[in-house]
Amino acid sequence: MSGIFRVTRRDFLRQAGLGTGALVFGYRFSSAGTLFKKAESLFAKAEKIFHEGFLLNNFVGIHLDGTIVIMAHRSEMGQGIRSSLAAVLADELDADWSRVRVEQADADGPRFAIPNDPGARPSYLIPEEVAQFADSSRSMAIYCTPMRLFGAGIRLVMLRAAAKAQGGDAADYEAKDHKVRRKNGTGLTLDYRELLLFAKKVPVPTVDEIKAVLKQPKDWKFINKDNMPFVDAHDMVTGKAVYAADVDLPGMLTAMIVRCPVANGNVKSFDDTAARAVPGVKSVVRVLPPGFPGGGVGAGFIPHAGVAVVAENTWAAWQGRRALKDKIVWDLDQNPNADYDTTDESQGYRRELKESTTNPKPEQIRVLRSKGNVDAALGPAPVKADYYVPHLAQAPMEPPAAVAVFENGHWEVWATTQGPELAQHYIGLAMLEPDPVKWLAWQAEDPADLKECEQPAQEAFNQQIIKALGLADLRALLNFRDELKKKVRDSVKVHVTLLGGGFGRKSKPDFAIEAAFLARQHPGVPIRVQWTREDDIQFSYFHSCSQQHLEAALGADGRATAWLHRSAFPSFFASLFPPPSPGVPEIFQTARAAYHNGGEYPFGSGIERGQGLEDMPFWVDNLRVENCAAHNHIRCGWMRSVSNIFHGFAIGSFADELAVSAGRDSKDSLLGLIGDARLLDLEAEGVKCFDNNGFPVKPQGTPKTVLFPYPNDTGRLRGVVELVAKQSGWDEKVKQYKGTRRGLGIAAHRSFLSYAAMVIDVSLDEFNALTIHEIYGAIDCGMAINPDRIRAQMEGGIVYGLSLALLGEITVKGGAVQQHNFDDYPVLRMYQTPKKISIHIVPHENITDDFRTWPTGVGEIPVPPVAPALANAIVAAGGPRVRDLPLWKKVKVT
Amino acid sequence: MSSFQLRVNGRLHQVNVDGHMPLLWVLRDVLGLRGTKFGCGVAQCGACTVHLDGRAARSCDLPVGVACLSEITTIEGLSRDGSHPVQQAWVELGVPQCGFCQPGQIMTASALLAANPQPDDAQIDSAMSGNICRCGTYPRIRKAIQKVAGKGSS
Repeated sequence: MSGIFRVTRRDFLRQAGLGTGALVFGYRFSSAGTLFKKAESLFAKAEKIFHEGFLLNNFVGIHLDGTIVIMAHRSEMGQGIRSSLAAVLADELDADWSRVRVEQADADGPRFAIPNDPGARPSYLIPEEVAQFADSSRSMAIYCTPMRLFGAGIRLVMLRAAAKAQGGDAADYEAKDHKVRRKNGTGLTLDYRELLLFAKKVPVPTVDEIKAVLKQPKDWKFINKDNMPFVDAHDMVTGKAVYAADVDLPGMLTAMIVRCPVANGNVKSFDDTAARAVPGVKSVVRVLPPGFPGGGVGAGFIPHAGVAVVAENTWAAWQGRRALKDKIVWDLDQNPNADYDTTDESQGYRRELKESTTNPKPEQIRVLRSKGNVDAALGPAPVKADYYVPHLAQAPMEPPAAVAVFENGHWEVWATTQGPELAQHYIGLAMLEPDPVKWLAWQAEDPADLKECEQPAQEAFNQQIIKALGLADLRALLNFRDELKKKVRDSVKVHVTLLGGGFGRKSKPDFAIEAAFLARQHPGVPIRVQWTREDDIQFSYFHSCSQQHLEAALGADGRATAWLHRSAFPSFFASLFPPPSPGVPEIFQTARAAYHNGGEYPFGSGIERGQGLEDMPFWVDNLRVENCAAHNHIRCGWMRSVSNIFHGFAIGSFADELAVSAGRDSKDSLLGLIGDARLLDLEAEGVKCFDNNGFPVKPQGTPKTVLFPYPNDTGRLRGVVELVAKQSGWDEKVKQYKGTRRGLGIAAHRSFLSYAAMVIDVSLDEFNALTIHEIYGAIDCGMAINPDRIRAQMEGGIVYGLSLALLGEITVKGGAVQQHNFDDYPVLRMYQTPKKISIHIVPHENITDDFRTWPTGVGEIPVPPVAPALANAIVAAGGPRVRDLPLWKKVKVT
Repeated sequence: MSSFQLRVNGRLHQVNVDGHMPLLWVLRDVLGLRGTKFGCGVAQCGACTVHLDGRAARSCDLPVGVACLSEITTIEGLSRDGSHPVQQAWVELGVPQCGFCQPGQIMTASALLAANPQPDDAQIDSAMSGNICRCGTYPRIRKAIQKVAGKGSS
């Protein structure tokens, strides 16, 4: 077995050959949010050296033989983060890459969180809940700077150690490839290994000292270079890479599960005679204990109710499951989800969404942003359009899988998870704490640690949970929370394997909880839960279907004079928190409101509203942005770029409809709509608590989750539009294609703090059969840390975007998903992929004090502009305006 | 349960399994060769691709009773150390993202190139379109195949 999933906190020390009491360089950054400016006490104190080597801090250690061991604390799912973060540290450290080892970390949020100074607010600069959560395209945005500082700090210690050993000042020395030598060429060249003993005797550098020795771009070996290492490539092409289903433990059994097809259903009864008769089948058991409500809407990550067939091997489990499938009676009595229908034919739920956006009752509307007088400015004949994007399933290539062992009250779990700490948290609560109200205590926070706009909701929640638990005060609540966390962390160990794709699906740990439940029923026996592709398609946490209604009037100068946007989608927050209904304590609504500005049922959360809706980037004097009611009947979750998919599609398509209606060039019109380069001030237009991917908008913000403010900059959006237009030869090609059945489409979108634009070149034949000739993508993600992986993510994001634009649709009838596998839920294949895709990255010279240069995410950013650019290109080629995805229903896709 | 003799990566194995068990699960669960992946179970995605007598085949719906008639090669047997030209091109061009589908992609590509050392775009499309990659590495897979075929510039 690979070492990748074997490492625990103690194991790290042991495996790395490092003593448990090893030298610890603290990594506390002082002074909230101002790491670059005031932080002082990084590497605050060096204590003792042990004979095994140094544990330099929780992220990095050095063996006595000089091997640098770097913990990959975030999950690898194709974005290259295991390589990129390690290489950033190694680059600043001037390590010899052949002497660097990357180890995958277990779930251990507290270890990788970055605390603030004692007493300072917020308490954490990187809190434990995001420390390991490989989601929202923010691994690099959060950890690039800490990794650079760790690397440069250790290098500085080595320089000082060399000075200690050979005389002179650290500044007289330079590091290269794991070695330090005197600049004037005299004396010995000393290996980092040889400097370990001197390292303990030198003063630990301050942040300012480290900042002063950060490398300049000309000295970077890996950062911003195409030769950045790719640690897993060899294992991946030789079949040695270990994914969850590849974990093999002695005596392991495999479980496959028949799940209730309708959300919140349960098992009434089942006959397992036939399943038990299948050779190799060991047991047939309910997944959830009696009395446990089945998963679905409002059930968080509790799995759908089901019955598991546990067998000697996968095939036996599969055969047993087949024999069981029709022998289960589901309890769907009074189930409000059993009539859920999103099909075109019935127009059931689709009509509900459309009504909600085109003819809403006052109580169905929440105004999110408003300015001027829209109703007057729209005038008598605005341009109007309605857009629909269906439910979608993430469908990562690796179906969900997890292995769990239960022994002596402890669970050990191996999972393909984007959120190891989240998995640990929910497994622990589901296994150990029968009262779901107590689960909510995990959410207890000192309001002073939050953004001001989040404090009232947190305060209200704290008060309610203090009362519900019969506690004295906030102090007692926080103690209760910490004890709960400790109990969970002491009882559940989660190892992270490689992920065969994630796309948001593997942020949800329902399948790991299934394994934990089944392990408890088979003490001492490792149980592997293997999902089939059918399971994956039918029991996703689905991308929300959505309806968008837009109206606008265009001024002579190319700007919109009025803009109305209504968006309705079933919020994924209603998957996490139960909607109000009889028997559901009110505290769940209060908890939702306090959770990342989660809002209220049946409306969207702050996260979803902040993904392309509240932050619509166009310059408009009269505008109103509204979120409209949408009820939940299936569990929704996030999929690569989340609500940006439907908001980007609607806004990107509608911008083009305005251009077409005014007879203007689509690119010029888009730039005209965006207007001048400026920083959006959403607060001034009524947006409360703009999410901004968890980062502050303004420098003075001090939210709990972040280090740096990233204003929403229309200049950068213009920048990617101009870059992609230039690279695609937009102006010439538009002239050239005029009057033909070939055309260009363009769209741009900011998401997850980065900016992307696409130009797509298509033609249609006489039967409206579509050919995509070429795609140009541009991205501004600040300093490009790993340009090759950025291009790879852009290419892959374009393919992902094409899949959903052209082909993707999940429909539900009678509460059950109608699709099964890649035959009826097709995704893009090689022959459908354009032969030419070119990627252009906005260049930056260095990482400076200017927020525009700070590295931001890439994974999700390419997806939102793909569908609108493609829909716009189809119109430019003389085809129909497609407002409902997928496109294959209106143009011929072969 | 029946007994089958399988020749996998040049080695002979005796397995005692249900004759309908797909080759994929024999490889993974019985022989411990986990480089061959499960992606769909219905020969739609190609993650389970192996070579049968040098030709690409989907192992997830191929009964062991049929598979045993052929010489089987899995990703573990394509080369001992990743030195097969297709594997090398994959690394050089940074083809993998999550990597899960890549053993299947590589087995299909290597069978294609063995049969047709200089495939054109249409032949690449035709051979490779049975292998899905959700990360969307298709553009680089094409380049890597072209590189091995001696046509690629990079």
